[in-house]
Amino acid sequence: MYLYALIIAALVVACIFAAPLRHKVWVATGAIAVAAVAAISLAVMAFVHGTVELATIITPLFGAEYLAVDKLSSLFLGVISLTSIATVLYAKGYVEGYLTRYSPWHISLHYTALVTLVVSMMLVVMSSGGFSFLFAWELMTIASFILILFEADRHETRRAALNYLVMMHIGFMFLVAGFALLYEYTGSANFSAIVNYFKWATPLPLFVVFFIGFGMKAGVFPMHIWLPEAHPAAPSHVSAIMSGVMIKTGVYGVIRLMQAIDHNTELLYSIGLIVLLSGIITGIWGVILAAMQNDIKRLLAYSSIENIGVILIGLGIAAVGHAAGSNLIGMCGISGALLHTVNHSLFKSMLFFSAGNIYSKMHTTAMNQMGGLAKHMPITAILMLIGTVAICALPPLNGFVSELLIYIGMFNGVSDGHEVLYSVAAIIALSAIGGIVVLAFTKLYGTVFLGSPRSTHVAECSEVDNLRIGAIAIPAAFILFIGLFPQYAVKPITIVAEAVSGADHTIAIDHFAPTLSTLSYAGWAVIIITGLLFWAKQRAQRNRSVEHGPTWGCGFTALNTRMQYTGESYSEGLENIAKSLMKDTVDGRSVDKGEIFPTTHNYRIRHKDKVDSLLGHWWVVLMHRINEYVMRLRTGHVNKYITFALVFLVAVLLLSILNIL
Amino acid sequence: MLIKILNTLLMIVVALSITGVINRTRALLAGRKGIPFLQHIYNVRLQLRKGAVYSNTTTILFRIAPCVYLGAALIAFLFIPVADLEPLLSFHGDIIFVAYLLALSRTALILAALDTGSSFEGMGAAREALYGALVEPALMMAMATLALFCGYSSFADIFAMAQELDMNLTIVLVMVAYVFVIIMFIESGRVPVDDPRTHLELTMIHEVMCLDFSGIDMAMIHIAGWLKNAIFSIIAANAIAVVFCFHWWFAAPLAILVTGISIGIVESLRARNKLSRNITYILTIVAMSALVLLIGFLLIQNIEI
Repeated sequence: MYLYALIIAALVVACIFAAPLRHKVWVATGAIAVAAVAAISLAVMAFVHGTVELATIITPLFGAEYLAVDKLSSLFLGVISLTSIATVLYAKGYVEGYLTRYSPWHISLHYTALVTLVVSMMLVVMSSGGFSFLFAWELMTIASFILILFEADRHETRRAALNYLVMMHIGFMFLVAGFALLYEYTGSANFSAIVNYFKWATPLPLFVVFFIGFGMKAGVFPMHIWLPEAHPAAPSHVSAIMSGVMIKTGVYGVIRLMQAIDHNTELLYSIGLIVLLSGIITGIWGVILAAMQNDIKRLLAYSSIENIGVILIGLGIAAVGHAAGSNLIGMCGISGALLHTVNHSLFKSMLFFSAGNIYSKMHTTAMNQMGGLAKHMPITAILMLIGTVAICALPPLNGFVSELLIYIGMFNGVSDGHEVLYSVAAIIALSAIGGIVVLAFTKLYGTVFLGSPRSTHVAECSEVDNLRIGAIAIPAAFILFIGLFPQYAVKPITIVAEAVSGADHTIAIDHFAPTLSTLSYAGWAVIIITGLLFWAKQRAQRNRSVEHGPTWGCGFTALNTRMQYTGESYSEGLENIAKSLMKDTVDGRSVDKGEIFPTTHNYRIRHKDKVDSLLGHWWVVLMHRINEYVMRLRTGHVNKYITFALVFLVAVLLLSILNIL
Repeated sequence: MLIKILNTLLMIVVALSITGVINRTRALLAGRKGIPFLQHIYNVRLQLRKGAVYSNTTTILFRIAPCVYLGAALIAFLFIPVADLEPLLSFHGDIIFVAYLLALSRTALILAALDTGSSFEGMGAAREALYGALVEPALMMAMATLALFCGYSSFADIFAMAQELDMNLTIVLVMVAYVFVIIMFIESGRVPVDDPRTHLELTMIHEVMCLDFSGIDMAMIHIAGWLKNAIFSIIAANAIAVVFCFHWWFAAPLAILVTGISIGIVESLRARNKLSRNITYILTIVAMSALVLLIGFLLIQNIEI
């Protein structure tokens, strides 16, 4: 079994390295396509037959473990397969620009890492035991580390990648500790053993250890700081797959834990509160910081954090509601969270692909250099608009469907009197997130695609190749399908949610079915009415004078494009409210109010996360201080060094004589 | 079916009359003769007959946006019941759908404003986006209060159940109505948050976003504004009607009068806020709706104990 797997892996890697430069991508595509087809067929089998067991592995550490696909894994397998196919198709066009810049070896390594990442993510959601899970988890981290390092000649890239590697390993240690704890108490490190563990040991420490480990990957506050660094540094398709699916493996871990706790009401309640609270903080923190960013990919990274927050809110409300005895709230929360996981993987990968289109033409991701790109890249603009509306959770697209499910759960909590205050807190958080995310993404879309160009590079932009457009269109199609036919899309999700929560899903189906079908009609009605209005307007204007002219400048005639509202000014109002969450770094000087005839100014501002400096700053200072003392010993005189060695040897001698060592 | 049609017709009447009442109230308070009651409808009819001027900077999005703005408001409009009547559309959880449809329409207009590339319209869009984001929790909490009392999460069910409410909740319902009226002030850009009659683009919020629209587009934006006003005022009027007399023939005139007269009086008597005060004003409303919800929750708990 091992041997075959190793041989196949080695063959694929060898093929990628041996293939001619332009065909490496096709080898990778083939490998990923085979893996995806296998994964999807496994997922379908798991849906039909329940759990499918694949193989048993004898691990050196924790004994026998097996690879298995159950309903929860099959949902994640589907998400992984879909996004990775879109990603590898997109990668072809994106990497094309770098073929001459980097050595063939470099390109091969990139594709190998991409294939490894996909396969390791699949293994993560399939392995049910500690050792194989950790192995796959580590493989996933290393593969993504190599992927981030694609443009390793840039200083920021290396920094971000190292930052990522360190953070992921801190998380990994927590997971190791968690599994070790589990093994010590129950004699097995399988996920199924968690149930036994929770029966007689103090459960909360284990949950917290696991939650930190998984939260590090998912980007839960305050462990999110690697995301906004890693995503701008990584190539766009890598950001897409990392943000779209890789961070979801953290969510997967949390769901697995909750699944194990399901019958222990008291514990479920307290864990639900932890998850809900961290979801609320993560979501609000993420969305406010997202609205502040002036870099497309950094904005998208923060929005991923926000979406993880939304997913955790759904899971938390489900756990709290379920513990309080309401199956319906449990079903709504879990299905909403699972659907949002799927949805986020769709629109986030799509938005990152679109950002990649822009980057490959503009060679920058700074929003304030852009403007009016919709005229030069119309198809990207349309696709990005779909992604924007979807991520703002506006009807009639998919983001709304999942948030609606979570909202229904919360409103049920309010109206049935189950845990009213927690539900209300979650409602406030989710609606605030919903409002600010509109601000963040209208800022992104408006500054990048609309208005007039803010730099001369915009005029040189053109639409990207069809393959890349096709790759973006794959998630777009699913977004439209889930948004416009929610009644069909939610059905499999409720089946998975039933498997997770153990509740009877027929209640939920009965409850959702009328809602979702009316929602579908209403969504179509919005589109049809808008279309009719547009058609009627165009028809009416056919015989009338329709003129074109410059934008109304409110009486001022010397307008230029630099006077447009920038992304920074767009979010200034929110910045005034949320100043305390950020630490600004400013280069240059702004125009003083007393300056009547302003001269040339250079002004660059970056809103840094306060958590970043909180976590990063103090230990750098500490290290500096310790170093100061250590440096005193480094005098440069050989005689003193020899004295140190002597003192050391004498100390060892004394200690051993005294029997202390 | 007849009831549903009656409901929709009443809503349309409410939507068409509120602006007229506002204008009449203002004229009366200022001691002027004032413009005819239906003047705003004549104005829109005139705009519907006109051609259009489009900015060269704009894309097709600018032309679709008013249609989305109106279309979304129109669909949201169909979910609202007038007191004891039934709305045309309804499903479990439609209060969320309505709130998000209004957000959709707002987003469309914001994007259209950014599409013109004008700094003034950018300003308006930024303000509208911020105020919209801040007012969203207030709206959701006001709706959650209704859901808490009535045990449902669709407008139709909420107000169908509302008649059996305990009279102890009177004060809370009146406060919910107040919150909805204030939310309407904010959403429709009225004094004290925004002044629709201001002539200075720098201080405009809602109006400045529509600077580049003309003809049919402008008419659509006006009509959508009426519909949005009607949505909020009917909900507010329903909340009040629950206390006094829960019938459509009471709620519909109440909706027209409550919002029409209150906006008219506020616009006649006070100036608009300084822009920097607006955020405080909106956050106060958010805090207030949280308070209303909490009081309602405590009252409900007491009754059950």
